[in-house]
Amino acid sequence: MIPNPLALIAEITHRCPLHCVYCSNPLELAAVASELSTNDWLNVFQQAAKLGMLHAHFTGGEPLARPDLTELIAGARTAGLYTNLITSGIGLAEPRLQALVAAGLDHIQLSFQDSQEHAANWIAGARAHAHKIELSQIIRRHKIAFTVNLVVHRQNLDHLQEMIAFIEQLNPDRMEIAHTQYYGWALKNRAALLPTREQLEKAVEIVDAAQNRLAGRIRIDSVVPDYYARYPKACMGGWGKQLLLINPAGKVLPCHAAEVIPGLEFENVRDHTLEWIWRESSSFRRFRGEEWMPEPCRSCDRRAEDFGGCRCQALLLTGDATATDPACSLAPAHHLVEAALLEANSNSNVPQPNVSQPTPASSFVQLQQKTAELWSYRTNPE
Amino acid sequence: MPPPEDSSQPRLAAGCRWGAENKTGAEQERVILFPEGAIRLQGTGRQILERCDGQRTFAQIIEELQAQFTVADPAKIRADISQFLEQLRHKRIVDY
Repeated sequence: MIPNPLALIAEITHRCPLHCVYCSNPLELAAVASELSTNDWLNVFQQAAKLGMLHAHFTGGEPLARPDLTELIAGARTAGLYTNLITSGIGLAEPRLQALVAAGLDHIQLSFQDSQEHAANWIAGARAHAHKIELSQIIRRHKIAFTVNLVVHRQNLDHLQEMIAFIEQLNPDRMEIAHTQYYGWALKNRAALLPTREQLEKAVEIVDAAQNRLAGRIRIDSVVPDYYARYPKACMGGWGKQLLLINPAGKVLPCHAAEVIPGLEFENVRDHTLEWIWRESSSFRRFRGEEWMPEPCRSCDRRAEDFGGCRCQALLLTGDATATDPACSLAPAHHLVEAALLEANSNSNVPQPNVSQPTPASSFVQLQQKTAELWSYRTNPE
Repeated sequence: MPPPEDSSQPRLAAGCRWGAENKTGAEQERVILFPEGAIRLQGTGRQILERCDGQRTFAQIIEELQAQFTVADPAKIRADISQFLEQLRHKRIVDY
């Protein structure tokens, strides 16, 4: 039996004022002209709630780039969904936040790039840090749950302790410390982002200590980097098992990166019902269950726990979406991950920033040029 | 973080709320929604949380449930409720 999906990830636009080097959006972003209309989305939320879904996670790009966001939040909430806004905060001042809360927004997750202003703006490719701090104070005046998200990587892990102390001052209910996952722009920039083993081990200790210290006050959720794990992550809780994602153009995907997999056709909410796509479409059936699994997954005791890992990562690293996720230590292609780790842990091979310190730049173009040898900033859709 | 005191007034934390009543599933099941998930509640778990309205004190909640479940050891009821609320506080679902 196919279980009902639990949560909808609504990627309502790929437009974004930030250019984060670790962005997991696809390299090929959905064009503005292709975006679903307000009514298309409202219809989707009704269908999602009827399918038994509980949560709608609004993400992007930057969801605030959609002028109809308040209407979309109201529509999802009216349909019966819990509404979560995942945002950089750029474009959000108090009146709009107030409108969103009145529309039924339950939770806001604000991303930070660093605790230090220069470093944060350097990663984001935009001057955003000061505004985020101001916004945090405004958010706390409203009765919604507040999570601060921090993506960590080679360039910022060395001052994790300081970053946690910084977030603590913002007084959120939750902090999410997420190691970069290597898809989209982050994979392109992997050499500059993959931490050393030493950095990682220190980070684990720091997070553990903070969890104990802040227990009952701020909950810390931490996403560990799968490259250093023994077994792969249970990507999306299994393909077509718990979650579905709708991209700005209305394509329904089993996960953020699924479009990289060749040969799969993704259906559009403009053409089919969500229920049919979830239950019947070939893309959702392709890796559902265990039929597709190769060895060593097929006979592995952990197959019901991690489902063979991530299909997109398998494709991106091995060229074969049906391979065991190379992050798994038992995978035939694990040497690919080991090679990346070897490179990350031997100083000579890692590209060094040609700007020794993150420096402010007067324009994005200037920043792009200064860091050209280190990484590529995420661009924007047409 | 200490367990609730008698005068504490437990309530759902910001951004945590009851979802719609489950029409098709098991009878009496309700769900609490929170930022990254949901918990399904039935039986005593549901009865405890429905009393966490920010008005009743911890002592009142215990009394009410002790009165309702007279066969169980009152001290155990108290200890169980205390532990339950403390766990939910760590998950940032309940405040007291």
